[in-house]
Amino acid sequence: MRIFFDPEVLAAAWPGIRSGIGVTLGLALTSIAAGVALGLLLATVRALIRGAPLRPVGGLIAAYADVFRAMPPLVLLVVLYFAAPFAGIELSGFMAAFVALGLVLGASAEEIFWAGITSVNRGQWEAALSTGLSRGEAFRRVVLPQAVRLTIPPLTNRAIATGKNTALASVVAVPEVLNQAASVQAQTASPAPLLLAAGVYVALFLPLVRIGRWLETRFHIR
Amino acid sequence: MSAVLELRGVGKTFAGVPALRDIHLAVGTSELVALIGPSGSGKSTLLRCCNRLAEPDAGDVVFEGEPVPAGGAELASVRRRMGMVFQAFNLYPHLNALENAALAPRRAAGLSHGEAETAAREALERVGLGDRTSAMPDGLSGGQQQRVAIARALALRPRILLLDEPTSALDPELVGSVLRVIRSLKEDGVAMLIATHEIAFAREAADRIAFLADGEILECGPPAEILDRPRTERLQSFLSRL
Repeated sequence: MRIFFDPEVLAAAWPGIRSGIGVTLGLALTSIAAGVALGLLLATVRALIRGAPLRPVGGLIAAYADVFRAMPPLVLLVVLYFAAPFAGIELSGFMAAFVALGLVLGASAEEIFWAGITSVNRGQWEAALSTGLSRGEAFRRVVLPQAVRLTIPPLTNRAIATGKNTALASVVAVPEVLNQAASVQAQTASPAPLLLAAGVYVALFLPLVRIGRWLETRFHIR
Repeated sequence: MSAVLELRGVGKTFAGVPALRDIHLAVGTSELVALIGPSGSGKSTLLRCCNRLAEPDAGDVVFEGEPVPAGGAELASVRRRMGMVFQAFNLYPHLNALENAALAPRRAAGLSHGEAETAAREALERVGLGDRTSAMPDGLSGGQQQRVAIARALALRPRILLLDEPTSALDPELVGSVLRVIRSLKEDGVAMLIATHEIAFAREAADRIAFLADGEILECGPPAEILDRPRTERLQSFLSRL
């Protein structure tokens, strides 16, 4: 028991882990915000493009979504951090993790928004257009508000997954919670910091999971 | 009599199958024209060609003397003056009755928030729902929902209403309330083109009836002529099956 909860090791590990919480939260919030915004932007573009000359744009967006949903975020992260410098792109560990997590969430979020948008009855578009609303206004005032209701439960789940995936940034030396815990563990050869980190993750993300469940019951009906 | 809306040789095919063929039809000021005919005869497509929700492949649609523009703000401006009412109501489920009717006056016609609400409130009063302005669509009966949909079109003060089987999705006991509203609009001089299966209503309220079969207008004239002295076999057999 003492091995797992060695108070001296825990005391030595806590300051680093505490500062890691800030990094984890900062990385989680920025990449979730960027990913959701990217997904919404791309789905909006895909919904509003009309006419032959722009049609390939929709295909490109769908291709992006497919590729980045197929890509493991860890692989994308190490490519951005270790391979991109050879192409002259130098990213800090934090930036590489932000870009990787944002791109992967952006792909899922685009598909989630797109599914929500296409599931809104075509009659809603027609009613709005028949009153002389522009496509943009019809989308913004009529279609999107209905689509968002459908997207909230799956989007919350993807956002939580992205938050947890911030732990991947430990492999590119971002001093977030897991990285801090692992470095103390390496110095002391004690597993206690890892258990502390695990507890910290649960404490950080359990409230989000609960909020997600509440949103699901709130928005699922209708 | 000057025509508010006129179709000149309008044609439409879906995937090679003709849905409308050489349609000539005019609706005058304050006139109510009823479209009757079997399901799939093209009534809906004809209405949707008027405001270009469906794109005609042939002919011209002329509204107030001008061809209906192909797109953009010009088409939107014509659509505002050409109200449409759908079989399935198509109310916005996330907005209450007043917001449903005020959205286009605010966001399409560019009225202020207050002016748009006033227009919406007046339109709801006109359809007898002045006391249900804050009701959500799913809290209204089918008949009330369809009246809100009529109010949504009326709030823009259209020159003509296109009504696509407005009572076909309603329980029989709710049909009357919607038809009463349509009759009162006729008395106020609103021009209307209405696809309907309510033959008794068409006989009593329509100025003219057009009989559509397989995408063609086979007969068109005053109700007594069309319903009591049908000339074509198609119309005779259609009427005999009612």
